Amino acid sequence: MRQLPAAAALALLPGAALAHASERMVILTLPTGWYILGAAVAVALTGALALLGRLPAFTARQLWERRVIVPRPAVSWIAALVWAALVVTGLLGSRDPMANPLPLVVWTVMWVALTLACVIFGDLWRGIDPWTGPVRSARRLLGRTGSIGLVRLGYLPAVLFYLAFAWFEIVSLSPADPAVLARVVAGYWLLVFVLAVAEGEDWLERGEAFTVYFGFISKIAPLWHETQGTTVRRFCGLPGAQVLRMAPLPPTAIAFVTLVLAGVTFDGLAETFWWLALIGINPLEFPGRSAVTGVNTAGLLALWALTGATILAALALGLRLVRISQTGAPLARFGALAGPVLLSFLPIAAGYHVAHYFIALLTQGQYVLAALNDPLHRDWALLGLPKHWVSFGFLSDAASVHAIWAVQFVVILGAHVLAVVLSMRLSDAPPRLSGWSHLPVTVLMVLYTVLGLWLLSTPTGA
Amino acid sequence: MTSRLIGLTPSRRTVLGGLAASGAALALPARFASAQSAAPIKLGFQLHRTGIGAAYGRWYERTAQAALTLVNEAGGINGRPVEILFEDDGTDPKRGAEVMEKFASQSNCDAVFGALFSHVVVGTAPRAGELKMPYLVCSEGHHVASGKLNRWTLQPGITDVKSQVQAMAPWISSTLGKKVTMIFPDYAFGHDHRDAFVPAIQAAGGEVIEQIAIPPTETSFTRYLPRIPSDTEVIYHVMVGPAVLTFVKELGEFYGSGDRPQIFGFIDSLEAVNIASPGLEFLEGTHFWEGHCRYLQADAGEHEATYRAAVGVDDTGASVADAKDISTYAHMFSVWETLFILKAGMEAAGYQGPADRQKLVEAIEAMTDMPYSIEHPQGAKTFNGKTHQVFGLQYISKVEGGKLVKVHTTSPEDGMYPDEADYTAMSF
Repeated sequence: MRQLPAAAALALLPGAALAHASERMVILTLPTGWYILGAAVAVALTGALALLGRLPAFTARQLWERRVIVPRPAVSWIAALVWAALVVTGLLGSRDPMANPLPLVVWTVMWVALTLACVIFGDLWRGIDPWTGPVRSARRLLGRTGSIGLVRLGYLPAVLFYLAFAWFEIVSLSPADPAVLARVVAGYWLLVFVLAVAEGEDWLERGEAFTVYFGFISKIAPLWHETQGTTVRRFCGLPGAQVLRMAPLPPTAIAFVTLVLAGVTFDGLAETFWWLALIGINPLEFPGRSAVTGVNTAGLLALWALTGATILAALALGLRLVRISQTGAPLARFGALAGPVLLSFLPIAAGYHVAHYFIALLTQGQYVLAALNDPLHRDWALLGLPKHWVSFGFLSDAASVHAIWAVQFVVILGAHVLAVVLSMRLSDAPPRLSGWSHLPVTVLMVLYTVLGLWLLSTPTGA
Repeated sequence: MTSRLIGLTPSRRTVLGGLAASGAALALPARFASAQSAAPIKLGFQLHRTGIGAAYGRWYERTAQAALTLVNEAGGINGRPVEILFEDDGTDPKRGAEVMEKFASQSNCDAVFGALFSHVVVGTAPRAGELKMPYLVCSEGHHVASGKLNRWTLQPGITDVKSQVQAMAPWISSTLGKKVTMIFPDYAFGHDHRDAFVPAIQAAGGEVIEQIAIPPTETSFTRYLPRIPSDTEVIYHVMVGPAVLTFVKELGEFYGSGDRPQIFGFIDSLEAVNIASPGLEFLEGTHFWEGHCRYLQADAGEHEATYRAAVGVDDTGASVADAKDISTYAHMFSVWETLFILKAGMEAAGYQGPADRQKLVEAIEAMTDMPYSIEHPQGAKTFNGKTHQVFGLQYISKVEGGKLVKVHTTSPEDGMYPDEADYTAMSF
């Protein structure tokens, strides 16, 4: 009777729940409670000090400017062809999700590594999205210039697409299966292509889930670029410098940001002993995804609702704590506050994503390199990697696990400190929060710090 | 062909592809030339590639590939080359059944093997029966021998938990002590150990004086440890899951540097974990069941080194590519041995193609003695065709200097129990 031993739950690919029981086995012996307490105090102190002292200016500095080398539509066309090749590989290539390039590219390169890269170097996705080029060509070919009014829906299509994606990743039965994934990728590309041809390529920035996702997540990057016509300007600044220059978020964008936050949180939560006990699953005997599809679907939606409700409630409470009388209708004042302040949750979403998938990067990343080393399974060693190179021994090694935890701790702490500071800055403008009225949002961010670190250190079983 | 083919060298695969197109079968490599059909034998492998079984899956695939290389180098099966089609089942019973369906309907596999996790086996076996597909599992579950499954499902590559646990009792009673306290997780896995061990230790002249069942969600054990009676001579533990290290640490703190009872556990708790890890020092001097000794023993059999080299495992049970990457050594031999049983079964049955699947099952049912050999590197075994379950040797190792050193090998009889089923009386 095979059961979950200490190291058994080394599940790979986000499509397969990222439980690493061997790493958790070691981490359970670390004093993570003290780390969590320390981080909570640090974030709370940041909130207090930010009230007293001056906040950083978050100025942006231009590093250089150059001309566009390859026009975006051309790059996009290349990207579309690469994706088409990946889809074919998914359908006809290896059945092994750790060897087929499609699941490796989607779940490791794009979802984990590209997110990390965007958090550092700015929005790299917009330059390589596989729609801009084909959509522009198709519209030109069809002589189409108008739109069908999708833009009126705001970010709603992106919200729905992202929700479907999160469900596919976290809940569905076979997200890493190359053939399943190929159909999903092809179907999604086609759907977005048709809509964008009808609406116009600019709609992608509002309606396409990954363009919106990478666009938002990259706003906390310390490096970024802006393209105007044929000129590219590269900037640097404190993380968050871009966030302060963003327009307030409309309600559908608020829905998107809270969904991103809830999605990655539920991905972590769904594998914890806590959640499994709650839904009546023995964490030492996880019965497989098929047994929890319904309850995890409900859990994902419930957590999204809870995340949104909690954040908005904290803002509403903050508004009530404002002593000086404010003008305007309450709802309008709330909207004017929520739009900008919700931007301060971007670092939390990005930071938790990076920390949560850090181990996936270190484990699945090896399979990506192994696949590049021997792309056709012919015992090649193009990168010089030996046979059996992929190894997870470091996950049961105390020193490595401690180092991984330290990285995750720093990322989570940094993200939340930034979030607190940004929330202060973003509520500067009327209807402003001041003094005690910052308290609910700051407390919420402290709680998010605790939650984020707890999710990374609590025992997992799925 | 959507599945990855392994086991044939690239050049050979190219040759075969080219030959198939031109029909020039006479030019096949000499070692496969005796085959009436040049078409490869296709075996489906239900692989826990993702999901909670992935740590095992990685090693099971590696072991299967190593065995396959050997089989093909020695001329394949009935003179035909052998392919293994690996399909990820996500360690999920529903996907397991889907994978079985695919092996049967799309790939037209000759047989399927490799599944480990019990819930996947139990979820897949009925489908195997419906599709009339030989399904050789490597799960240790008692569900095969208990008669719960069907004529098409066999477990010839590894003993079941009932046999393993029972075989421990005589030695524990005679060597470690007669008064045993069991500490086990409070669900089916722990209950299986309890149900098999309590009567076995009684039969061996000992007794279980306390049973401490720990809720599966527990991650700290200090409040349970005072329940260990002071006259306990042996603690039998089978804790599993991420809190194992904590359990060992807290047990160590509970006893401090003073006297402690003898301690016996199943290596399942620490499979794929370095026994010399910080925090496991307390295990020094304690004993473990091992299905196959992780550390190379001084008296290892003549085939041990060949098996290790083929799978890519060093003398400490770690990957040759990374000394920290500990294999699932106590269990993964089952994949190796099962492939060789398929080979032996197909050869005995004169297997030609899927129409002979029933003959294959009957040929395996007819097997009895499986002597120690490169085909059975874990040790000699006896197959019981009626219960579809193999019986064999178990090992008990002691942690000495941070290594597992074998101190006892059970006799085959220690693990035998009366038949609970007769699959041969069932129809196909």
